[in-house]
Amino acid sequence: MRLLALFLAASAAAFGADRDFDRLVKAVESHFGVQRTHIPFLGTANFFVKTARPEGVSGFDLAVFENIRPLAWEDGQALDSMMAGASAGLHPLVRVRSRRDREWTYIYTGDTGKSTSMLIATFEGHQATIVEVRLSMDALVKALQEPRRAGREFGRGAERDGSDEP
Amino acid sequence: MKIAIVFLAATLGCGWAQDIKMPVGLEKLSEKAENSVDVTLDGALLQLAGKFLSGKDADEAKAKKLIAGLKSIAVRSFEFGKEGEYNAADLQALRAQLQPPVWSRIVGVTSKQGGDNVDVYLKNGEGAQIGGLTVIAAEPKELTIVSISGTISPEDLAELGGQFGIPKLNVQQKKPDQKKGKEEE
Repeated sequence: MRLLALFLAASAAAFGADRDFDRLVKAVESHFGVQRTHIPFLGTANFFVKTARPEGVSGFDLAVFENIRPLAWEDGQALDSMMAGASAGLHPLVRVRSRRDREWTYIYTGDTGKSTSMLIATFEGHQATIVEVRLSMDALVKALQEPRRAGREFGRGAERDGSDEP
Repeated sequence: MKIAIVFLAATLGCGWAQDIKMPVGLEKLSEKAENSVDVTLDGALLQLAGKFLSGKDADEAKAKKLIAGLKSIAVRSFEFGKEGEYNAADLQALRAQLQPPVWSRIVGVTSKQGGDNVDVYLKNGEGAQIGGLTVIAAEPKELTIVSISGTISPEDLAELGGQFGIPKLNVQQKKPDQKKGKEEE
């Protein structure tokens, strides 16, 4: 049990220290004047991710912002600017803007090495979500071949895992 | 997103030039569009993908070969709520970059009935290789621009469709003497 607690703490520290994810979170907090919503058992969910997620995915971090002011379509430009500044150093992969659904999605990949990360930011209605998925290089390459689908899968998967208690 | 492209394989001359840049004006179209999607794969990501794709697996080996000479892929697509939300002037800055002798407009398909227009420009590469590709697919309520920078063989062009965010390309190879743009009804 102690070993598990240590492991979870280490995982949380590692993910918490991720600069790219934190930078995006802080930028959203600053832009909307809100704080991320606390998600109970996120660290535990991360532990189960290691056995339950698709091959090549080793963990994730998730920040949910509730009750942000609803975005008007005209706010998109300011959102683009904010995300451009906050994502410096990341590789932009996909940007989707839907006037119909009032939804903005940004997908980036992080620095590459033995493993890397994919960061997905979604703004819709009163809610914003930032997901960081840790994945192997093989998984990233597969994601690059179908970038839009990968963004949807990783983003939704991490949101689902973060919102449910394991 | 349906793109019908008739690709005319041709013997191309030599010459290299800088890659095209997506005009700033295109950004404004996303404000009018109901939906817009940008997919960007820069050189670093493509090189990386090439390193990690297996040469043993048939599909991966094919993908590896395809992207071996590529520098970047950019796809911009816009879906509009009604017709007339964009016009030829919005594409002028882009077309201005796609001029001879560096670029050759290989295909020009104009549909007078449906209003669908597809233009394919190839950048002259070394030997029989293509140095780059730009596709402008303009429909009344939809606009897609695909820009591929780097070296690619004509035979591999069709294979790129459906991968790396590139829409499916219905590519047919025709004889070189049909190099001029053609017009449909």
